[in-house]
Amino acid sequence: MTEQQTDKRAEGDAPDAQGAPAGDVGGEFAEAGRLSTAPRPDTAVAVPRLGTRELLRWMWRQLTSMRIALTLLFLLSVAAIPGSLLPQREIDPSKVLQFFGAHKTWAPILDRLQLFDVFESVWFGAIYVLLFVSLVGCILPRSVAHYLAMRGTPPAAPRNLKRLPVHASFRTGAPAEQALAAAGKRLKHRRFRTAAGTDTGGAWVAAEKGYLRETGNLVFHLALLGILVAVAIGHFFGFKGARLVTEGTGFCDTVAGYDSLTKGQAVSDADLPPFCIRLDKFTASYQESGDQIGQPRTFDAYATYQASPSSPQQKVDVRVNEPITVNGTNIFLEGHGYAPVVTVKDGEGKVVYDGPVTFLGIDANFTSNGAIKVPDAKPKGLGFQGYLLPTALIMPGSMPASVFPAAQNPVLILTAYAGNLNMDSGESQSVYTLDTSRMTRLDVKNKKDAASGNALMLAVGQSATLPNGLGSITFDGVKQWAQFNIAYDPGQPIALGSAAFAVLGLVGSLGIRRRRIWVRVSETGDGARLVEVAGLARTEGATPTAEVTQAAEALAADLGVVPDEHEQQGKSTPRTGASA
Amino acid sequence: MINENLAHYSNLFIALALVAYAFAFFAYCGEWAFGSRSRIGAKAAAVGRSGQARTAAAAAPEDAVASVGASGVSVLTRTVQEGEEPTVAGGSLRAEIVGRFAVMATFIGFLLHASGVLCRGLAAQRVPWANMYEFSCAAALAMAFAYLVLLVTGRKARWLGLPVSFIVLLTLGLAYTVLYTDAEELVPALHSYWLYIHVTAAVLSTGAFGVATIATVLYLVKAAAEDGRLPRLGGVLERVPSSGALDRTAYRVIAFIFPLWTFAVIAGAIWAQKAWGRYWGWDPKETWSFIVWVIYAAYLHARATHGWKGRAAAWIALAAFVCVMFNYFGVNTLLTGKHSYAGL
Ligand code: HEM
Repeated sequence: MTEQQTDKRAEGDAPDAQGAPAGDVGGEFAEAGRLSTAPRPDTAVAVPRLGTRELLRWMWRQLTSMRIALTLLFLLSVAAIPGSLLPQREIDPSKVLQFFGAHKTWAPILDRLQLFDVFESVWFGAIYVLLFVSLVGCILPRSVAHYLAMRGTPPAAPRNLKRLPVHASFRTGAPAEQALAAAGKRLKHRRFRTAAGTDTGGAWVAAEKGYLRETGNLVFHLALLGILVAVAIGHFFGFKGARLVTEGTGFCDTVAGYDSLTKGQAVSDADLPPFCIRLDKFTASYQESGDQIGQPRTFDAYATYQASPSSPQQKVDVRVNEPITVNGTNIFLEGHGYAPVVTVKDGEGKVVYDGPVTFLGIDANFTSNGAIKVPDAKPKGLGFQGYLLPTALIMPGSMPASVFPAAQNPVLILTAYAGNLNMDSGESQSVYTLDTSRMTRLDVKNKKDAASGNALMLAVGQSATLPNGLGSITFDGVKQWAQFNIAYDPGQPIALGSAAFAVLGLVGSLGIRRRRIWVRVSETGDGARLVEVAGLARTEGATPTAEVTQAAEALAADLGVVPDEHEQQGKSTPRTGASA
Repeated sequence: MINENLAHYSNLFIALALVAYAFAFFAYCGEWAFGSRSRIGAKAAAVGRSGQARTAAAAAPEDAVASVGASGVSVLTRTVQEGEEPTVAGGSLRAEIVGRFAVMATFIGFLLHASGVLCRGLAAQRVPWANMYEFSCAAALAMAFAYLVLLVTGRKARWLGLPVSFIVLLTLGLAYTVLYTDAEELVPALHSYWLYIHVTAAVLSTGAFGVATIATVLYLVKAAAEDGRLPRLGGVLERVPSSGALDRTAYRVIAFIFPLWTFAVIAGAIWAQKAWGRYWGWDPKETWSFIVWVIYAAYLHARATHGWKGRAAAWIALAAFVCVMFNYFGVNTLLTGKHSYAGL
């Protein structure tokens, strides 16, 4: 390091009173030792005279500045808020439809602003793309600078060490070389990286420690990029689907087999693994007493699967939190519910429906809602809409209700319709609701119980005859269904690895203190030498007070102290204005 | 099987802890009331002030504190050392005694509180933080723990005692009266060892963020007082550490706990991957955890950005904690998502 450089640094390096990062100083000091807490000084925002290149340069500098990073982080958090307050299509499309129904004027406006698809919206994407561009623009130059700093030596000692946040000094009779050697040895021993030199003020040793902080910081930010890449890979090469299966039935992993399926652009139908799974039995247990009565305690989906048509059948118990894995594809238990088993006979006495119908649970006690559709009944198509109460409590004068989620006393309450079910109108229909626009409601007045109104009320084993000779319906029993989610995400290991690096990087970045210590030995003019040790925090609150003091004391003990005859008027009289 | 006896003891311990914390709280109040202005307090405040108004070149030697040790080494520092910060008691003996009593009461409260949480776990044979009552008890415990750790590691942190005991009392009281639910087994969604990892990290982080928030609020008040904007409170605030020290405490706690919060979010993602087949799905809880994380990241960036240090950064930290609270109370009670469990 040349003399000139040293002097320049001494000027620029005016640390502040709190030992906080000297990054604000900026200027020439910023060049050699750009450090973790030293943000790039944000130069005043002055738009240069227009030339396309200058403008682009200027914009790039702004984009990669800390201030913009800060702003973008803020924007990102604010932008995420509506995604949690408004229903999202990605998460629950039916809620979005409900919202549309309830807010006729507002919903379309919000929709135009993509507020029901916040996390896929253009504006959310724009913010995070800008943030990551800013991140790359920020991190790459810093990585290079840090690499160079790691290979270089600590910067030379400032001219006036007394201006540093902590300064310790003593006078010694030992020769300068010995003092410097001792200082260098001690600091090296403490794992400081050191350099030595001389200038007009004497000879010095410079030492720095804590480079891993910046390394950690860079690793952390790069790991964030890794996570982004992993998410993108999952998007392109992964798929996820859902399928609802009633006890005794199963499905195979083909496009047609799914109730819903989302595939990445790079996934073809043939890429779906060829497994099949059948639900043999589903059991659930619930809390039976106390203030948490009805809370679920266990769910078990006993299933049989085949990894491929030619492989052997295997029995498994799929539980929440315990997915099964078939060749990298995971099968999760996502939901469950009831499927009442009914037999419907039409007016001609023919059995036109016989089997389970899936109903959807709508409350904690699993009151379930659904529709039974028999379009082919003669003389008229039949439809039933209503509720299944797994443990029905029926009291005169109040609405029938389910009081427990298990099927202890299942009752079906159905409104019956006859007519055209509109099933071949071309529009897709929900299996849980009946399109009654072209049907008439049947008058099935149940004399026994006024509470049931104009609805059929059936316990297991009971039948009801429909009026006008339209047929009958029998409630045979209840089966359960389970919803399986099938997911494959090849980006997941990368995400996991990146996340691990992110945490490690953060620990290093926030936990390691980076600091510099300088030792300067100068002639006092009266035959002794003044040894000064001073330290500077390069990161928040890292002023090495103890290290500097101890180093000075150890050196003093090593080298011997010579008292100063001019103590009284001398430079060592402490000026302690603040405590006066 | 639930051990009803232990569950009963747990409730008893929590009730006793409430009593002990109440004693602690009143004793801290007494310490503040009896304390006197101290000389060192004035000095540290002066240094703190100059630290506030600093410009890079303004490191006037007048701010330095010098000492000459027996070894013949003279030391000059410009940072206020921990030992020189003022204390709530000031120089008053009476206040000191009451203050020590307060710390003792806090410690006893903590032991009772911890026993309560432990018994709850033993009673139900699982981690004792699986519903809102238990989260609240555990987060309050984490907060008391963070405070005691600061004390035990030799930090002069007794100024935190009053607000910490107040908030712990409030949280625990709310849990005991409003959020209480019997000790029971877990819902299937929580049957996973990730409950131990993820929720423990989240609860610890929440408690520590709470402590950092107290320091941040005090920092804002103290900084205003140092600027002469709160003349009425001047006397009391003399006994609080300098704004510089408060700011540093807040930063240290956040910097220490932010990696743990990051880990908590990641552990949650790993669990989500296991439970639901995707590691991130913008569920309300996930979204708000992300928001909290991003705002604390913004705080850390702000502290490294010229012109954002100090007050602006402190406001960001407060905004972050508001989001922590919303993520807990708001998301659990107002929004529906996959994170709704037994007894909230
Ligand atoms: C993707 C969004 C980002 C997140 C979540 C993030 C998060 C963080 C966190 C948590 C820290 C604290 C670690 C520490 O203080 O050492 C940090 C530090 C830092 N970040 Fe970022 N960051 C992001 C983007 C950026 C961008 C775009 C830039 C460039 C302008 C940047 C530059 C820095 C710098 C210079 C530090 C060091 C500050 C210091 O050492 O105190 N970050 N970041």
